[in-house]
Amino acid sequence: MYSPQNSTVYIVDDDISVREGMAWLLRTRRLLSESFDSAEAFLAMLENTTDPGAHPTKQAGCILLDVRMPGMSGLALFEQLLANGIAQTWPVIFLTGHADVPTAVDSVKRGAFDFCEKPFSDNALVDRIEQALHLSHERLAVSRQAGQLQSQLGELTERERDVMRLVIEGLPNKLIADQLEISVRTVEVHRARVFDKMQVKSAVELANLLRTLS
Amino acid sequence: MNILDARPIFHRLWLRLQNWFLVQDERIPKVAGRRSLWAALMALVVAVLVTLVWLAGRYEISQLQAALERDTADAVSDLRSGLSRDVQTLQALQAQHTNLKTWSTQAQSLLRENRDWLRLEWRDAQMKSRAFVDSPLRQPVFDRTPRAEVLTEASQSCQRARRFNGPAYSTSYYVPQAEGLGMEVMELCLPQTQEGELVGYTLVTYGLQSLLAERLGQSLGRRNEVSFTEADGTRLAITGTHRRGLRLFTAQQLLDLPGNTLVLRLDSRRGEPNLFPNVLTALVTAMSIALITVMVLLVKDSRRRLKAEHDLADALAFRKAMEDSLVTGLRARDLQGRITYVNPAFCDMVGLPAHALIGHNAPMPYWPPEMVDEYKQRQAIRLAGNVPPREGFESVFMRADGTRFPVLIIEAPLINTQGQQSGWMGAVIDISEQRRIEEVSRASQERLQATARLATVGEMASLLSHELNQPLAAIASYANGSLNLLKDPEALAQSQDDVHMALRRIAEQAGRAGRVINSVHDFVRRRDQAREAVPPHALIEAILPLVNLQARKLQVNVVTRIEPRLPAVWCDRTMVEQVLLNLARNGMQAMDRPECTGRVLVLQAKRAASNAEHSWVELSVTDVGTGIAPEVAEQLFTPFFTTKAEGMGLGLSLCRTVVEQHGGHLAFEAQSTKGTVFRFTLPATPVERATLPGKA
Repeated sequence: MYSPQNSTVYIVDDDISVREGMAWLLRTRRLLSESFDSAEAFLAMLENTTDPGAHPTKQAGCILLDVRMPGMSGLALFEQLLANGIAQTWPVIFLTGHADVPTAVDSVKRGAFDFCEKPFSDNALVDRIEQALHLSHERLAVSRQAGQLQSQLGELTERERDVMRLVIEGLPNKLIADQLEISVRTVEVHRARVFDKMQVKSAVELANLLRTLS
Repeated sequence: MNILDARPIFHRLWLRLQNWFLVQDERIPKVAGRRSLWAALMALVVAVLVTLVWLAGRYEISQLQAALERDTADAVSDLRSGLSRDVQTLQALQAQHTNLKTWSTQAQSLLRENRDWLRLEWRDAQMKSRAFVDSPLRQPVFDRTPRAEVLTEASQSCQRARRFNGPAYSTSYYVPQAEGLGMEVMELCLPQTQEGELVGYTLVTYGLQSLLAERLGQSLGRRNEVSFTEADGTRLAITGTHRRGLRLFTAQQLLDLPGNTLVLRLDSRRGEPNLFPNVLTALVTAMSIALITVMVLLVKDSRRRLKAEHDLADALAFRKAMEDSLVTGLRARDLQGRITYVNPAFCDMVGLPAHALIGHNAPMPYWPPEMVDEYKQRQAIRLAGNVPPREGFESVFMRADGTRFPVLIIEAPLINTQGQQSGWMGAVIDISEQRRIEEVSRASQERLQATARLATVGEMASLLSHELNQPLAAIASYANGSLNLLKDPEALAQSQDDVHMALRRIAEQAGRAGRVINSVHDFVRRRDQAREAVPPHALIEAILPLVNLQARKLQVNVVTRIEPRLPAVWCDRTMVEQVLLNLARNGMQAMDRPECTGRVLVLQAKRAASNAEHSWVELSVTDVGTGIAPEVAEQLFTPFFTTKAEGMGLGLSLCRTVVEQHGGHLAFEAQSTKGTVFRFTLPATPVERATLPGKA
């Protein structure tokens, strides 16, 4: 599941020395990072990715965002990320000066992962970054699993789906056959196919799987 | 009733009536009541006129009547005297002519003389006729009727005459004449005595008609009808003209003769005294007409007056309401400067009643005592005829409770209806509220600026912290990263370059932080270079305009005392001026209390204790205000400590900082009497600097 290799820390800060220092620190903790000198540059990177299958949001990540920047501010970028859902995949950690603390606290209430006051205690920040990356991985895994289940369900025929619904309700094959007005033998065939397609071995497993989906 | 007397009375009455009308009118203007009164007045006037005319007529008539009565009385007395003369004539005849012949001759001549004698007879004592003579001027009277038939009256009268022993007249009787006519005659019988013996009678027959015609006809017959009547009014004889269609006046008078009584009646036909019978009536009428005309004119005039009065009253009420509603004070002065008028707004403004102001001359009760001289001068200029500026001028007045307030006075010459200037009218506007608003807006402006300055400081602090945070954040990153690398001794060999690089970055970022700090330091240091040599009086003069502005508002007298030949001081001019201004303002505010009188602010510059290397100049600001409470004095220089509502509490602490930056010191002490003195020292310009060109 989680590994530093398939996750990226995105650093958005107008000050190059801060960016470089941070990137270097992350490297000493074996974390990959990408730096952007403005909010606009970061948004441009997201849009310029041509291959939808290899979109960066398919990978785990987290964003280190400076509040005060020339041009689009960190807060404005955060609003946009909340709007297009990227903030759900990639947790956002604000980097803030002394005067910006109240706004940063406010942003956390609105869904930012955390904020960190500059000059920060760096290893503690990196710990938080790792937690954020974990969270990102988990969220990606959940969404990926849900996507797989959806495609498996899509492979079932109409009749198989009816049988599956009644199986989950815990009805024996005989009653299912009566209800669907088909023979018990046919029910058994359908049931075996459903289990095969959904890659489960029992009705209980099937019920658990569907519960995660809902 | 005398008309000439009546006129003034009537006139007085008229005036009184008119007065009453006016008074009545003022009280209750009842139109209907007034109309009926007018009608009554007109009726009265008409009645009076009619009465006057009537009385005049009556008077005229009575005059005529009186004249007639007089004439009648005269006529009677004439007749009586004529008849008595006749008696005398007859007595003479009796005495002189005793024989018949001469008697007849004499009788003849007497009859010719007396035309009213119709017949003379001489009879003896037994009434036997001895002789008789008829009047030669007419037919014998007893021609148709024999004398003997009509002797009754004659004999009766003679008997009476014998009894009286004097003349006696018979009653009149009618004697028919020729052609159906007749005449009324009367006999006079005069007894003739000799030695006491009655010897005979002389009889005269008078024709009554002739008697009237001869004796009265000449004088009265032209205008009157003269007649004898009996008591019952029967006419016996008549003479004189008869005029018809005229008014008849009648007068009667008794003519009593011995033996007979006749009534003499005068009928005078005079012209009826019509409406204008004579000048008097005409005069009365003319005067009445004139009176009515005058009355009508007076009524018209009084109406016009009433209307004008109403208009005037309205205008006055309008003016009064206008004056009372004004918030602008109005004050009029005559050419001597005495107040002749003030409106309620002015009274409210200065807190004095109008009667305490009107008639007052300089110094006015609302002049602040300390300004009296200046105001007197100003009034003298005004009274000399100098027109003040149209936009007005500002001044300070004092209320009754002693508080001062600023006013704007707009004065204009007061021109009367003759076009001559009779004084000055001044509109006085209390501008203390306006001032207060200005003050408040200025204060809020100052507060805003102060806040802006503070905001700038906050902004700068924020900017500064950001500027410092960036390199510090980078330093922290490199340091922590290096520590991470150093924790792993195995990897140390590979990461040596990294650590090296990190340390170099740390040094770079530390340098960057240092530069930020340096730039702040530079900013502070730059003000040091602004120092220059400034003469102390220049410092004081520079702030005087600003100080005076506030001083005038607070009625503070500003006094400057500058020791001669003071050396120039070496200072940051702008900052030191700020210090002086700040101290001067504090001093004036300390005196801004109503109980504080004789407000003086002293700005002083003098030489301070000096030694060989450094000489010092001391500047001080002295007020006579309320002084500084001990608990305030302790905290006076603490930043952000203030006693003023709008103050920031930075003034005095900044002042001290500025003074100390110059190497001097700032101190304060209580004045011996009252008030406080703040003094601070500044270094005198060192000689080598003072000689530098362009620095003096």
